[in-house]
Amino acid sequence: MKKLLAVLALGLSCISYANAAVVVIGNNAGPGDMSKADAKKLFLGKGALSNGAAALVFELDEGNPLRSQFHELVTGKSDAQLKAFWSKQVFTGKGNPPATVASAAAMKTAVASAPNAIGYLDEADVDASVKVILKP
Amino acid sequence: MKFNLKTLTAAVSCALLPTMAMAAQTTDEKLAQLEQQIKTLQTQQTANLTEKFNFNGFISGAYISSDNDAGYDYAGSSANFDQDSKFGLQGAFQVNDSTQAVMQLMMRGEDNWDPELEWAYLSHSFANGIQVRGGKLRLPLFMYSDYLDVGYAQPWARPPEEVYNGVPVSAYTGLDISYDLELADSTLTFQGFGGSSRVNANADLKNSLGGNLSWTDETWTLRATYAQGTLEGKVTTQVNLSPDPSAPVYADYTLIAFDDDKATFTGVGASYDNGNYLVVGEWTRSEIDGLYPDTDSGYLTLGYRINDFTPYATLAYLATQDDAQRTQDDAQRTIVDQQSAVLAAAFNAERTSYSLGLRWDVMANIALKFDATYAHKFGDTSGRLPGNLGRSFDDTLVYTVKFDAVF
Repeated sequence: MKKLLAVLALGLSCISYANAAVVVIGNNAGPGDMSKADAKKLFLGKGALSNGAAALVFELDEGNPLRSQFHELVTGKSDAQLKAFWSKQVFTGKGNPPATVASAAAMKTAVASAPNAIGYLDEADVDASVKVILKP
Repeated sequence: MKFNLKTLTAAVSCALLPTMAMAAQTTDEKLAQLEQQIKTLQTQQTANLTEKFNFNGFISGAYISSDNDAGYDYAGSSANFDQDSKFGLQGAFQVNDSTQAVMQLMMRGEDNWDPELEWAYLSHSFANGIQVRGGKLRLPLFMYSDYLDVGYAQPWARPPEEVYNGVPVSAYTGLDISYDLELADSTLTFQGFGGSSRVNANADLKNSLGGNLSWTDETWTLRATYAQGTLEGKVTTQVNLSPDPSAPVYADYTLIAFDDDKATFTGVGASYDNGNYLVVGEWTRSEIDGLYPDTDSGYLTLGYRINDFTPYATLAYLATQDDAQRTQDDAQRTIVDQQSAVLAAAFNAERTSYSLGLRWDVMANIALKFDATYAHKFGDTSGRLPGNLGRSFDDTLVYTVKFDAVF
């Protein structure tokens, strides 16, 4: 029984690991909490930050599972839908996809580098260099 | 030099001090962080250049064939690799924070791959959110007008012909003004435009003026368009003047001459895409004064996304609404019978089509599409099929295999 419980616990921890909580982060000097609707717009290249400034958006590289998880939660777009969305925007001159970074460390450095920068991270990777502005 | 060396040493020891104080635990982390900072600085440096210039492209390659030569999308009983194949290159140059110049060069198989400037405009965004563009732009009549050629951004192998092939112009030279109103969880966009277009070597669309209103929350999209203009020029067809079929002598024969004839276009569209289910529908009406046909058309597409596969089904139709004008009865006859018969054969049209297709997102940036479209119910018309003016076909089946890529 104990063994079974241990296996179960292990299994659960694996599940929670796989579903690591993704959070939207912002520059420490930037605007505070934002709504999911605001985040959705900003990560699709629309709207502006609550202080009126254009957001400097960073995304993780394509293929990063956290990226897919983030979009599933916030913009509701699958990888292919997102790709199609940005090809629409690009080829109609309406905008370009956000800059991408390769890792959680790079995301933190990038977001910490400009006051209007936003990005997303696994909650476990957040440290004092950035702040959490939305837990979707 | 001596001074420089001194400051350098001072700087190095200053830089080293905190690191040493923090001891070995952080050395690796610190190193990684410094590397990251250098990378960021490098990126920022190159960003100045790359952010100013964006270069993108798209390519489509298609095989289409049909069970007969009715000519749906110019498909024939032998394979056609040109009709739906195209290659586009786009350069966007950020002049300053609010102004950009965009150029898109298109090469289409159906135009013998002759390069053509599809978009060429300067756009400026004002502080109040109004965007003005001037130059050569897309005529924004349909939901997919803006990215008509970018197959990758569409669910189908091709936009429904019945609707999208109804208007023979896709671009204009002029000005447009647009404004995005950001609502709580959605965006309302107003767009107004005006300009003129060259329809072909013989006809021009002038004084075009129109606008559209669209609303989207990224799941639902609703859109309405109205546009009007005047047509000048003529619609011609080639006729063989020679009695000897082995030595044809072709001449242009004018079917309809335009004299500032007013043309209007009304369209409504809606789409729903929640990531799994996809529903898209559009309905359009185009009306032209005089003998040129007034046409209603519409389509409805249902799709379902299963990971990388999106099977879809489309029902589409078109029907001319002013057949009586071309086939007048004796009492109000204003044109001679023979010409009336020619005009009726050339312009009256009815068609219903069914498509079954599949979009397969093979890998990042590449989609493969398969489509079978069956068209019938031509009534006593050609079905607006170029190979069916003699009304020898009652239906046609067209197969398409296509890849769409963006880069």
